[in-house]
Amino acid sequence: MSLLLDHISFKPTEEYHLNDISLRFDSGKMYTILGRTLSGKTTLLKTIAGLQTPDSGSINFEDTDFLSIPVWKRNVAMVYQQFINYPHLNVRDNIAFPLKQRKMDENLIEKEVKVAMEKVGLIGFESRKIQELSGGQQQRVALARSLAKKAKILLLDEPLVNLDYKLREGLREEFKKLFNVSDESNSILIYASTDPLEAMQLNGDIIVIDEGKILQTGTAKDVFENPATAKVAEITNDPAMNINKCLIQDNSLIMNDSVQIQIPDELKSVPNGKYLVGIRATDIFLDDQGFAFDVEISEISGSETFLHLRNKNLKCVATIEEVKTYNTNEVVKINFDKSKIYLFEESGELRHSPYQQ
Amino acid sequence: MNFKHKYVFLLPGLIVLIGILIFPIIFTVRLSLSGWNSFNPGLDFIGLKNYIRLFTDDPRFWQSFFRLSFLAITTVFLQYIIGFALAHMVWKDIKFKRFFRVLFLIPMMTTPVIMTVIWRTFFHESLGPLNDFLSIFGVQPPWLSSPGLAKVSIIVVEVWQWTSFMFLLMLAGLLSLPKEPFLAAAVDGASPFKKFIYVTFPLMAPISIGAIIIRLIEASKIMDTVFVLTSGGPGTSTETSSFFIFIKGLREFQMGYAATASFTYLIIMIISLTIIVKVLTKVLMRE
Amino acid sequence: MPKLYTFLKYFFVVLWACFVIAPFLWAISTSFKDFNSVTGGATYIPWLQFEPTLDGWSVLFKPGSQGGINIIGPYFNSIFVTLTASLISIVLGTLAAYALSRYTFKAGIVKNNDITFFFISQRIMPPVVLSIPFFIFLSSLGLLDSLAGLILVYIVLLMPIAVWIMVDFFNRVPREIDETALIDGCNPFQAFFKVVLPNSVPGMLVAGLFCIIFGWIDFFFAFILTFTKVQLLPVKIVALNSSITPWWSLSAAALVSVAPLIIVAFIVERYLSKGNLSGALK
Repeated sequence: MSLLLDHISFKPTEEYHLNDISLRFDSGKMYTILGRTLSGKTTLLKTIAGLQTPDSGSINFEDTDFLSIPVWKRNVAMVYQQFINYPHLNVRDNIAFPLKQRKMDENLIEKEVKVAMEKVGLIGFESRKIQELSGGQQQRVALARSLAKKAKILLLDEPLVNLDYKLREGLREEFKKLFNVSDESNSILIYASTDPLEAMQLNGDIIVIDEGKILQTGTAKDVFENPATAKVAEITNDPAMNINKCLIQDNSLIMNDSVQIQIPDELKSVPNGKYLVGIRATDIFLDDQGFAFDVEISEISGSETFLHLRNKNLKCVATIEEVKTYNTNEVVKINFDKSKIYLFEESGELRHSPYQQ
Repeated sequence: MNFKHKYVFLLPGLIVLIGILIFPIIFTVRLSLSGWNSFNPGLDFIGLKNYIRLFTDDPRFWQSFFRLSFLAITTVFLQYIIGFALAHMVWKDIKFKRFFRVLFLIPMMTTPVIMTVIWRTFFHESLGPLNDFLSIFGVQPPWLSSPGLAKVSIIVVEVWQWTSFMFLLMLAGLLSLPKEPFLAAAVDGASPFKKFIYVTFPLMAPISIGAIIIRLIEASKIMDTVFVLTSGGPGTSTETSSFFIFIKGLREFQMGYAATASFTYLIIMIISLTIIVKVLTKVLMRE
Repeated sequence: MPKLYTFLKYFFVVLWACFVIAPFLWAISTSFKDFNSVTGGATYIPWLQFEPTLDGWSVLFKPGSQGGINIIGPYFNSIFVTLTASLISIVLGTLAAYALSRYTFKAGIVKNNDITFFFISQRIMPPVVLSIPFFIFLSSLGLLDSLAGLILVYIVLLMPIAVWIMVDFFNRVPREIDETALIDGCNPFQAFFKVVLPNSVPGMLVAGLFCIIFGWIDFFFAFILTFTKVQLLPVKIVALNSSITPWWSLSAAALVSVAPLIIVAFIVERYLSKGNLSGALK
């Protein structure tokens, strides 16, 4: 059984929130919608849930017209990035709420609630008030509620984004386990995220969305290695892949008058002309023989240092695998890993990927 | 969200409100085109005669309107200054904070006409405490029987009554302000005066506009105090638009003419309040 | 500078406190006077300056036939009209405010904000403008001089306040809570009654307080639209004003009538200090 979106468009104002989206979701599988803030992820999830009606297009689920079924009869579950629970109910009643709404047998509700609470590790918190819980616990309640429902479609809208780093990592691991468990129930799992790393870790099919339009779909590996366009390459990397204009002329790749590199063998067949060159931040390294760049900003993140660099009009971000403080305007010498260079046409389409056969 | 259930939420209230109001409003317009008075009760049609009379031959109406404007603007201005000052004073550290807050809230909870009845005895020329106090200085001002002082009395009562409402709105506003700008100002070592001018006041500008508009709307209806304190007198020296309409319509029973005055007054009110909103927003939101 | 400011602050606050309290003190003192103590000139302290009596108070509870004023009937009328009109306004106002906060309405150029403005703008209507047509309207319905007629009019007075406060309240409640309820199987009505309403009690209490205040202190509609069968408290007391001015019973009646709302001042202050009111009034 599958969920089919067919040419869905939604344009409440001047701009498209969803622009001609056609997608297929198969049950028992997990999908990650990857896109920046306001790219249309939430709108897409709300449209599937039935909270929003698209202007045009159709949605089909289990061979029925989904759009003709109101949200309260669709049997979907959704977890928001804000920790949304019912503030007037305690933890148990929060989780039991959808089941009671379904007029399920009391004993069965008791059992299902217990199972769900065990899954998310909330045993012992049954009669706590929501306001007495930490953010992570509140999100566990929301998750338990959507798990208890055994919905056929489970929508997760950046559920971890508002948690602190450690909690996020821990909960994400649990998520993966939960998803594997819920695989048995044959439900469709759709997870929206802004974080490329998260998307890779979840390892489901990835749908890249921007400005309400689907840019690429595919496995995590595929999207990561062969981004369809420069835009996708930016969205699916954190920090965003460095995309710069360049000129290829007589086997050298010219980014500006001082940064020019010899192109690797596999690029030699590319005709001379204007292109966009893409280099991941992790593929730039310190090299005493390299090009001189000024440090604009340096930020330390975990065990890495992000350097925002500039050479005249050429800007790029490099990830250095050590913690070191750089001063603004300090000059560093860097080089590019030539074997990892991407090339895009001026219009944005992928011309060359280092992973291409 | 967009479900047809939304109408079930909205319509009961909307229908009740429109249902109660639609007749009075249409009727007022129709009545204003009639010559209904105590000799000739009935909805005849006399065209714009009433309007012509109001606009060309009735200085009393316009005087009452300008008097109302003067009273409304003066009292709301005083209420704003005093209410904001009081709210600012009991906002933070002050002894007996909650006592003062409760006390300053009390006047708006009291019925204006009833308190005005008390004020009338308070202002009484020979038996009231005010002149008893002033007699120490050898004066006995005729508070309610001289045109100028009667206006002052009304302003005093209005300010007493409604500063508390302004105080409430401003204090609620102050208590909802974010803390960060004040911390920043404290770090910069700003003086209390500078802190007020550069931090508190700009942050309070939107709330100030809202509060002033609400009070202006209410003040434009000044009636209860005038009715009890001076009955518009001496002469017509404290007569406001509402009171003028009351006299014409429900004392002299010139219903048609009163409706004309009502409708004209309402239109002028809506126009001037719209202009005031625009001007205030421009002046206070400049920073 | 800070010292001077502190001094001025206390000076001004105490001064205003005296001004606020002055008419009450005067009324309390007067309520224990008799004809001679009043007409003898202004006096303040009982026993010292005048001989106190309870005449002013006792007359309030005697029926008219025994020369009393009997404010008990009007008192209950006032309470009944205020509470009923407030309740209806809150119920209808909350429903409408919820719709305006959560759903999109569009009819030609009329949108949500315009409908909200229509509700709130009814406060602009001066009572006197409405009183004449209401007089004719209610008499044609046979509701002149009746509690039902007054309640009808008071709804116009109070619903704008309820809508104003509740729209603002709902705008600050995350709409995701309603959406979650819908996803969890509630239709929009169930979502409202099972989830939104239980979490809206603070807002409704604030709206209720304000409806009660503005209902209780109204005078003009009651004055125009009732005569003898139904009398509200303010009308009854103002009627005393025009008779031979028995200041003592006038003061006593005034104090009795403003007393219940002074409790509201304490409640409002509590809300303010807890921060529950701050958002609701912005």
